Amino acid sequence: MTLSLRDHSAIVGIGQSAYGRFLPDSQLALGATALKAALDDAGLKRADIDGVAIHMGWPLGIDYDRVAEAYGLDVRWVSQTWLHGRFVTSAIQQAAMAVACGLAEVVACVNAISFTRERQILGGPEDAEGTREEGGTHGESPPYGLTAPAGGAALGMQRYMARYGATSEQLAAVPMAFRKHAQKSPYAVMQKPMTLTDHQASRMVVDPLRLFDCCLITDGAAVAIVTSAERARDLRQRPVYISGMQGLRSGRDEFIFAPRGLGINQQRDVAAGPDERDLLAYRMAGISRADVAGLYTYDAFSPLVLFMLERFGFCGPGEAAAWVQGGRIELGGEMPMNTSGGLLSEAHMGGWNSILEIVRQLRGNAGERQIENARHLQWATAWGDSVIFRN
Amino acid sequence: MTSDTKALPRITPDSAPFWEALRERRLLLPYCLDCGLPHLPPGPVCPACFSGRLEWRAVSGRGRISTWTVVHKAWFPSFAADVPYNVVQVELDEGPRLTANVVGLPNERLAVGLAVEIDYDEQRDGITLPRFRPTAV
Repeated sequence: MTLSLRDHSAIVGIGQSAYGRFLPDSQLALGATALKAALDDAGLKRADIDGVAIHMGWPLGIDYDRVAEAYGLDVRWVSQTWLHGRFVTSAIQQAAMAVACGLAEVVACVNAISFTRERQILGGPEDAEGTREEGGTHGESPPYGLTAPAGGAALGMQRYMARYGATSEQLAAVPMAFRKHAQKSPYAVMQKPMTLTDHQASRMVVDPLRLFDCCLITDGAAVAIVTSAERARDLRQRPVYISGMQGLRSGRDEFIFAPRGLGINQQRDVAAGPDERDLLAYRMAGISRADVAGLYTYDAFSPLVLFMLERFGFCGPGEAAAWVQGGRIELGGEMPMNTSGGLLSEAHMGGWNSILEIVRQLRGNAGERQIENARHLQWATAWGDSVIFRN
Repeated sequence: MTSDTKALPRITPDSAPFWEALRERRLLLPYCLDCGLPHLPPGPVCPACFSGRLEWRAVSGRGRISTWTVVHKAWFPSFAADVPYNVVQVELDEGPRLTANVVGLPNERLAVGLAVEIDYDEQRDGITLPRFRPTAV
């Protein structure tokens, strides 16, 4: 007997700090600003929070106990992940499951980070990812000079380009689209337009990734509050229901920055579209891919957007670089993506800036970025996890 | 590690035979005595069949570049003088892939599918790193 989680819980409050570079506030101060804003937004009090899902944590951020202590929370349920974007879905899922199972009633999902102050451990000698037993999870290999998540994304994209003939000029459509969206977001750090020439002139960082294929290093905080659908109906905002979910895939055929079967690390070398496990969230939500009005993804590097599109079957293997051309993923296009600019142009809130944007969209509060008649929006990543939200 | 010293590999009880053999200029892989498959990175069990009966066997040291990158940013001060330098993954003829660098090849000629063979590069502290160079024709 399984518990159906469709529409069982909802995001009822969102809040954020300013996003920026070299912000003077501490991580805790940024988080406090976002949490207060989220509580006000929901019409809840601090004492209503009885669970926290902390997506920040060591080594870059603060652990759950200091967060609870600093904010005077008294919670009975905690989940903590470390600050990898792969755990956005995990945090939301754990919050939803905790609510569904009665382990907590109101869970605050908290992300607060000062990447600019921690940048010395984002690759290089002080980055512990590659030096722990069994090494790093993005392909880090410090003895050979490979470090930072960008290195792993480069390994994935280089092979993808060799296999399918995709080009850097095609890849540019992704950061260019998200820059356009950022220009419509009052929260976005990057507001200057980006042309193909700008993209191609940006310096090569780790071939084939140019600077503009790599996300921003920013500071800020974002909070989303999850509670039961029943309680949500009595709160201040229109609930944004967590309608369908599927988990993070892992196994020998997976590499965090490659489609399944690309042949990175020990993956098999096979071009495969989505299998049943890649599409479970639609079934839980009771919708099909065609019902999705907008897509949101973890865009730390522009290739991840292509890999996600193929994993979820929006296009076939090897087709994504062509598929994203011509404004298809822009506002007004067939499948708008990361409509507030994503990590590439709005801010790097570990992905939570896009979760907040989903909520604004489904409330109808996205201003000039509003996707008309948005009913279902999907968060989905290159590594296979997803949450489908509806209003 | 100081900032002007390149990192050495983190050796675990599972990978120690791999590094001990490289010191003797031999490339060994852990083979499963039950299903016969080799694997990398070295683990405590066969990832194909979960058997714990493993045996280290010498392999050819030949393979092909399966992916590559050129690092243009000096993340490591110890690599600053090398920028831009390559990092590759090599698919060994026996199947498993490993990360390394290619020597004896201009970065402009890096390509997926290029045939390479192992070279041994002695480091400090009794560590020898595998490098690869284009296969002699």
